[in-house]
Order: sequence, then C-alpha cells, then structure tokens
Amino acid sequence: MNTTTTEAAAHTVAERAPQLMLVEGNEAAALGVALARPDMVAVYPITPQTSLVEKLAKLIADGRMDADIVDAEGEHSVLSVLQGGALAGGRTYTATCGPGLAFMFEPYFRTSGMRLPMVMTIVTRDGITPQSVWGGHQDAMTVREAGWIQLYCETVQEVLDTTVMAFRLAEHHDVMLPVNVCLDGNYLSYGAARVEMPDQAEVDDFMGRKDVNWHVALDPLRPMAVDPLTGGSGGTGPETFVRYRRGQCAGMKNALRVITEMHEDWARRFGDSHRFAPLVEEYRLDDAEYAIMTLGSMTGAAKDAVDEARAAGEKVGLIKIKTFSPFPVEALKHALRDVRALGVVDRSVNFRWNCGPMFQETLAVLYRLGRQLPAQSFIGGLAGADLTVATFHRVIAETRALLERPAADEPVWLNAKD
Amino acid sequence: MGQAYSTIAFDPAKCDGCGKCMTACASVKFDSTDTTRSLIQIVRSGGASIEPPRPGEFELALCRQCADPKCVTVCPAGALGKNGATGVIDWDASKCVDCLLCTIGCSYAGIALDEHSGRVSKCDTCDGKPACVPACPTGALRHITTARIYNEVGSWEDLFAPGLAGCQGCNTELLMRHALRRVGPDTVLATPPGCVPGMGSVGFNGTTGTKVPVFHPLLTNTAAMLAGVKRQYERVGRKVTAMAIAGDGGASDVGFQSLSGAAERGERILFMVVDNEGYMNTGMQRSSCTPYGAWTSTTPVGEHTRGKSQDAKNLPMIMINHRCEYVATASTAYMEDLYDKLDKALAASERGFAYLHVYSPCTTGWRFQSALNIEVARKAVESNFVTLWEYTPESGLHFTRPVNDPLPVADYLKAMGRFRHLSPEQVEHIQNKVAENLRFVRKIAEQADER
Repeated sequence: MNTTTTEAAAHTVAERAPQLMLVEGNEAAALGVALARPDMVAVYPITPQTSLVEKLAKLIADGRMDADIVDAEGEHSVLSVLQGGALAGGRTYTATCGPGLAFMFEPYFRTSGMRLPMVMTIVTRDGITPQSVWGGHQDAMTVREAGWIQLYCETVQEVLDTTVMAFRLAEHHDVMLPVNVCLDGNYLSYGAARVEMPDQAEVDDFMGRKDVNWHVALDPLRPMAVDPLTGGSGGTGPETFVRYRRGQCAGMKNALRVITEMHEDWARRFGDSHRFAPLVEEYRLDDAEYAIMTLGSMTGAAKDAVDEARAAGEKVGLIKIKTFSPFPVEALKHALRDVRALGVVDRSVNFRWNCGPMFQETLAVLYRLGRQLPAQSFIGGLAGADLTVATFHRVIAETRALLERPAADEPVWLNAKD
Repeated sequence: MGQAYSTIAFDPAKCDGCGKCMTACASVKFDSTDTTRSLIQIVRSGGASIEPPRPGEFELALCRQCADPKCVTVCPAGALGKNGATGVIDWDASKCVDCLLCTIGCSYAGIALDEHSGRVSKCDTCDGKPACVPACPTGALRHITTARIYNEVGSWEDLFAPGLAGCQGCNTELLMRHALRRVGPDTVLATPPGCVPGMGSVGFNGTTGTKVPVFHPLLTNTAAMLAGVKRQYERVGRKVTAMAIAGDGGASDVGFQSLSGAAERGERILFMVVDNEGYMNTGMQRSSCTPYGAWTSTTPVGEHTRGKSQDAKNLPMIMINHRCEYVATASTAYMEDLYDKLDKALAASERGFAYLHVYSPCTTGWRFQSALNIEVARKAVESNFVTLWEYTPESGLHFTRPVNDPLPVADYLKAMGRFRHLSPEQVEHIQNKVAENLRFVRKIAEQADER
C-alpha cells in the first residue's frame, strides 16, 4: 500500500521551520529525514549519533513529522524492525555508528541482499578497541563490502540535502539499494552551521511516489516466500544466488548515474547553495601538477590549505570523494587525468594493505587509468584527532615531494608523535 | 473433509464395577431401576465370581457407534442407519422386523434384545449428553469430544503445502499445520532458521512451502522484523496477523534479546515457540531449553559427561515477567487445549504481545519411534515434566490441565533414547526439578487465585 505525498501533507517540518537556520549536523540530518516523510524510524542511542535520534523523537512528539517511531532495544533490532516495515511497504530510516553498526552487521548485510530501499545515517566513529567515542571513518569503511551505497558529506547543508536525496536514490527502480549517508562524528554531528531549508512542497515533488516493496513484499494480498533457500551445488540454486549478487552489482553501477542525475535535479530545484558534486569534486584542479584527496568534513580545512598554497604559487588541486560506494571510477579517472602526484588522506585504516582504504581503492583506479603515478597514503583524524590547515600544508608538501621522488610503501601517520 | 464423532471411552483400569452407569441409563431411558435394561453394560471378565474384583477385570458392552457398522450391514429391513449429523446408529422401530440379526452382527454387544419390550435396544448417546458418564464416580467413563476439533477445523484450509520435508512423524509439522490453519490466511508468517524452514516453509530455489506470505528472518531478529511488518500494516489501517513459528534455540538463546525487546514494547505479535529442546535441525545440539541430563550432540555421553549438566531455562515463565498480553504453554497431546490457547493468543496479539510455548517432542533428536509422538507428549504432561497453563495480566496464571496424580518422571524419561544413560541420581535430580518447577508455577497460580 502506498501513501501519496498529499495524504501526509498535514505534517511538515518545513512550515514551522525558519527558512534559514543555524543547526548542528545531527539536527540537519533529522530535518532531512522529516522532509522525506518516512513511515517508520527506529532508534537507539549511541555517541555521537544520539542527538540525531533525539531530534527525530522530538519532531514526531511535536507533530512536525508523521512517522512511527520504534525505540528498539538495540541496533540489531533497529534494523530488523525496519526490514519488516519496508517489506510491508513502508519508507524507513535509522542512524547509528561505530559499535552500533558493528552490532547491526547481521541484518545490515541482509538489507542490501533483499534490495530494501532504506536510509541510514552513519555518524562516523572510529573502531574500538582502543576504546574511544570519537569520530573517524573506520565504522563505515569496515562494512564497505556489504552492498550499501555510501555517501560522505562535507558540510551541514550537504548533510541535510543528501539525506533527502538518499531516500529517492534508494527507491529508484534502477537502484533499489540501501543508502548510508555518512557524516563525520563530532565535526559535523556537533558542528553548527547555517543551513537553508528546502521547501516541503518542492521536496514532495522531488520525492515522487513512494514505491518500496514492489519487488519483494510480505503482504497477504501478494503472498510470496521472501528469501527462500538458494545456493548449494544442485538444481537452480547456484544460478539463483548468482542472479541476486549480479543484480546488486548492477544496482550499484546504476547508482552512479542516478546519483548524478539526482544531484542535478536537486540543484535545479533549490538553487546553487544546494549544488554539490555528486560523485567526485574537482577543486582547483585545472592546471594542477599534483593533488590531494579527501573525504568528508576534513575537506574544508584541506581546501583552505590548497587556497593558501595556490596563493604561494603551488600548482596543487584537491579531489574530494562524495560517493565512496559505488566507487566512482570514471569520475576519479577524469579528475586524475593530468595529475602527476597524489596524496590521499584517510580517516581510517586498511589493515590488509597498511594504508588508508580510500588510498587502496584509488590504486585500483590508477591501474584502470593506465598511468603510473606516485601516490602517498596519509592516515589522520583517527579517534577525533584534528586535521587542521597546518596538517594539510604538510600533506601538500609531502605530496609535492613525490614529483621528485617515489612514494613510500608506508603510510604517513598524521597526528602521530614520532 | 469427512465427519468425525464423539465417543464414550472406557478405562478398565479405573472401573470398579459399581454399576452406577447402568443405574443412570436404566433410569433415564426407561424410568426403571432394572439395570438389566441399561443400554450400557459393565460385565466381569470370565463371568461372575465370588473373588473381589481387581482393576482391569471389567469390560464394556456398549454400542460404539461404529464408522462402518456391521449391524447396519446385516439388517435386512433398513431399520438401522448411521446418522450423518450425530454419528449415532439410529434404530427405526417402524421398519424393524425383529429378526435380531443385528445382535449377531455386532462384536461389542452394543445392540441387544430388551426382554421387557421384546425388541432390540441400543445406546443413542442421550443426544450427545450421555447420562452414564457423569454417573461414573471413578472417571472410568469419558465422553471424548476431541472429534469436535476435527469437525470444526477439518475443512479449514491447510496453509502449508503438502509434502514438507520434515522427519517421519514430525510433531512440529503437525503443530504448525494446525496452528496456521487456525490463524488463517491474513497472516504474515516468520519462520526463523530451524526445523520449520528446514522442512521447506520458505521453500527452496524460488518455490514456497506456505500459502501465506512467509519469510526467513535471521535466527536473531524474528520478533523485531515481525514488529516492523505489523506496525506498517497498522499505520495504513490493514488488519494483518504477524505470527512467528520459531524454535526454542532461536527464541531462548541468540534471538532472546529481540524477543524480550518486542515483548517489553508490547508489539502486536503472535509468537509461537516450538520447543523441541534443542537445535534439532542442525543435528541435535544443546540449547538453553534442553533439559538436564539429555544427550545432545554437544552434550554427549562419555566417560566424563553424562548429557547436559544444567537445567533448562524456563522461557514461558520469563515471558510472564514481560507482562505479555497472553502467555501459555501447550502440547499437541492436548489438542482442545491447544486450540483454545491459539484462539486466545490470536485475539491477544491484536492488543499486545502473545506468547505461546508448545512442547514438541522430536522423534529424531529425542530418540523414540515416530509412532509414539503423542504418547511422549502426553507423558510429559502426565508426569508434570511439562505443565499446561495460561497467563494474562488481568487474571494471572491458571493451570488448564492440572495433573494432581502425576506419573513418576521416570515413566516419561524411559520413553526416550536421549535419557537412556541416566543414573538413578540423575533421575532423582530431574524428579526434584519437576517438583521444584511445579511449586514455582503453583505459587504463581495461587497468587492469581487470591485475587
């Protein structure tokens, strides 16, 4: 059963919200969720996500949002409740991070396999142990083989806008995959910034008709067995299983196109202050000899450093990844076309390669590019450590050095004392 | 679906030959004190004797209201016939030619010459309320009405496909077919990993074993997923039953958090646990519902260990402490009780969390012949190893089938191979545990009675 947008029009977060606001990233995410009008949100507190679900609960309590809120007893059930809601036709949302995401992993992996369109904010947090409640990308990076789309935001406005877009992306018939909107714990979650609220009616028009369970449903009017046993070595088992997996990969591939179209549509409707690079942002890259690569909120400081280096005559540019999963291979190839040295800054660790995960993904793109390029992995901002303009001056200097000498096999550990 | 009928059952072990049933019959049917006219006759095996009668010595001469009655077959006048509505063999005096062939045809002495009238006479079950049964002081006579369920539900659609791949004689298959047939088609059914999907409820490779929407939740998240389904239908104003048929392992061990959370939140779910006391589908491993002493493949019997060394977790009692809308235990050996509880659980699941814990003997994992399924299930109750009760927040806990004169638990234990190795000390431990459990449940039942 689908609810048309007009039926729900009575509740809106935008009407009573001022057009311009100063909000923290977590509140911006909550406002984006409310604009998208989900049927069901399931919540469980965890630092630094907690204020996000608190805000949702308040929006619902105040009648500014019409959704069923489920205070589940843990993240595992949070995601499971939403799976049930989605299979019954509901638009669903939750948020978590760090240990919560780890606890959620069993249903998390399954959500993409069942092609359930769902949105989950990851207010990114570093992995434990060592024990820490601070930001980092280790949680989101650790689940990157689980078939979810992952979009990383740079600013509070981008958090709000991307959260709305994520619902339409997830439900797009060519995609039908769950989406993580990743916003940096502490820096974005608690960082207040000026945001412009999009108009609710325009958002409703952008979202179109909800269509969540046309492909897989638990509905007595359409009885079916959801997720029968497949696989093994006999009968049609293996090919059925492979068909599922290939379908997930096809949805991922389509997502690159849909994300691009959606960002364009969004900016056209709401104006240039709502325009964000959908896959890869190229910043001051046109005549750059070398570039640094960033992800998430660190990009602000990195851009400042690039601006200062440019002012000092350095031919340095910046490449920001927004869409990490699916990895934007062609867009990144385009960004790297003229670059002669590259420094990649990660806020998490790839233990297999002794480098950052984004760095390691980029190496594969360089292979596709067919061009040898000295590239250096930088790992910083772990567990809430600052990545300042000064930090990025160091990154820029060390990347520039690669124009003269080969890159080291070891990552450069920023924020390290050695 | 054919018709089934009630019958008057006779337990010779309980009959002391007092004859009160015959007195009652003669009085009601003929207004007579002459018990020779009674349509029910209790006779001493081997004829009259001056020795005091021993239990088991008496036999019953009574019309059995046969399904394939020989008296009807041999009657040349069409005076006898099986009544399709009541199941009683009716005798039509106007057609009877008094040839008495029927009295020869019957093996049970169920139709005989009445010397007073000079014609045959036979039991008509007093229109379904036989006077002899309440007259019996020892409980040797019972009017068994179990057939009522068959007649009531027999024509309801079996919502599982035929030919599920359960073990031969699987009690769980019997239970789930009954349960879903009662709950009906407007249901979303969750069957977490275990015997139920293992036998094909969710099907294999694109087929399905169930006629209602059915799914594999994770072993860990059944209650949470169902809660989401139910809430979304409530949101859009549709009445859909959300039902789980889950094993004891998933419910009491790894899925317990999800179960407890959903119960605490009062999610409108009918959660039925099929308790076969272990992970039977994966090859009989121990769960927290496995009883003390039981052999399982992870509590084997060897030189150092003699089966499970801990007692079972009492999951239904734990669910009571969630203040669920309805909690009950049930057994397939007591079908009327089970159906009654299904009805109540179904109704309660529209108001809150309904939890039904059904003991389900496993012929494969418990090591007994498949034909003895119901026998084992019944002995569990008759020995108070399993107690049948129900609970609501309003009226508290009440026994539905109290057993006041229980069998020794050894009678139950020896019916199964999984307890074959038990030492006398282990049997004593279990007997003590039965008593302790019973005291515990009784205490709660007494609290309910005091209200």
